[in-house]
Amino acid sequence: MTERDDLDMLVAEYVLGTLPAPEREYVETRRREDPKVETLILQWEERLGRLADEAEPVQPSPALFAKIEKALDRIESTPRQPSETLKVVALRSQLNRWRWSTAIASAAALVLVSILLFQPQPTPQTQSFVAVFQHNDEQPAFLLTVDLEAQRLNIRPVTAEPRPGKSYQLWIKADELGPKPRSVGVLGNDFRLDEGALSGYEPALLKEATFGISVEPEGGSPTGQPTGPAIHGYLYPTDGNNP
Amino acid sequence: MKPDFHQLPGNAIDAQSSQSPERVAGLIHNVAQKDRQAFALLYQATAPKLLGTVLRILRDRAWADDVIQDTYLKIWQRAEQFQDGKSSPITWLVSIARNGAIDELRKHPAGRTTNSDELDEMPGRQISAQEQLEEQRAANQLNHCIDQLEKDRQDMVRLAYLNGWSREDLASQFEQPVNTVKTWLHRALKQIKRCLES
Repeated sequence: MTERDDLDMLVAEYVLGTLPAPEREYVETRRREDPKVETLILQWEERLGRLADEAEPVQPSPALFAKIEKALDRIESTPRQPSETLKVVALRSQLNRWRWSTAIASAAALVLVSILLFQPQPTPQTQSFVAVFQHNDEQPAFLLTVDLEAQRLNIRPVTAEPRPGKSYQLWIKADELGPKPRSVGVLGNDFRLDEGALSGYEPALLKEATFGISVEPEGGSPTGQPTGPAIHGYLYPTDGNNP
Repeated sequence: MKPDFHQLPGNAIDAQSSQSPERVAGLIHNVAQKDRQAFALLYQATAPKLLGTVLRILRDRAWADDVIQDTYLKIWQRAEQFQDGKSSPITWLVSIARNGAIDELRKHPAGRTTNSDELDEMPGRQISAQEQLEEQRAANQLNHCIDQLEKDRQDMVRLAYLNGWSREDLASQFEQPVNTVKTWLHRALKQIKRCLES
């Protein structure tokens, strides 16, 4: 299958609506950057658009338009915001969803971030990844960078705070590793993790893998699987100067 | 002066002509010029369609209302990007609404629960008479192509597009691994594409 076919299918699924959130975000980012992607999206929207005929129209409440007008008044009366503060320069991604079995998903409620192959423009040979873990879809909690060549990782807290009696634990999951996530390590009090913790994994596997962070009892998960509450992973725009 | 929405000639306009692609496209172009009256008319002509689409995905009226509000603000801001040759106007508007609804659903999947009753809504294709008249040929062509798919895959495509089901939702409903669902969806989409091109 060619790269173009892959992109066409990614876009087709985006339009169909079946992509997970990080992949949707990836397509939306590419859409803003690449007119070719925009064209593919419009083509798929046209192909599938008649399906929408099957949704029955529903009359909105009269109050809704009044609300919209009010919101529009607000938008029009405030000076235009600078567009996005963070602009994605060039992102190429091997996005791989975290394929939890449904049982694990409901038990651990752990949502993991797809790792993002990020390609700084001036040095396209750099093999760095960035993954961002967010609390409640808001501030990034952790930033994970992986140097693919050296199989080195660096994890740093952004807004994450130490929790008394709790530990943060990093997990990796990849098809080759079976259906369950595997522990990469428990973060120390200073949030540090041995930078060689990924040295046992092949770069090709790391490229396809997804990572997640869970909150566990002090010292790490007692079961060898994530047990704690969710830390949501989210693709995060970054640029070539700030890996 | 801002138009008073309640004084707009609601039922006086023949529903079909008010929603004709040409009229809707014209209104979008006027909205791109920041014409508030055109915006009100566009809303009046298209909001029921968009709300129906979004409500079917989110199954929660207040949530759907929020997405519709956001959708029309985006339409106001993006109207200048609409290009006649590339998109049919209704599809362009529906896409903005659907994307908003699906983004919401993917970010807050607990907001609604998928429901096997939704399958029962699949087999019958129900469209209103006026829509049947409109571009019937195109509609038939897509339906014709979807009808060529195996029954499970027809349902998958409809549940995904109309009800916002994710790969995982489909996998558990059809008792298949997520990867298999992905493969099936890709095959179905390719088959639809080929069929529409033939």
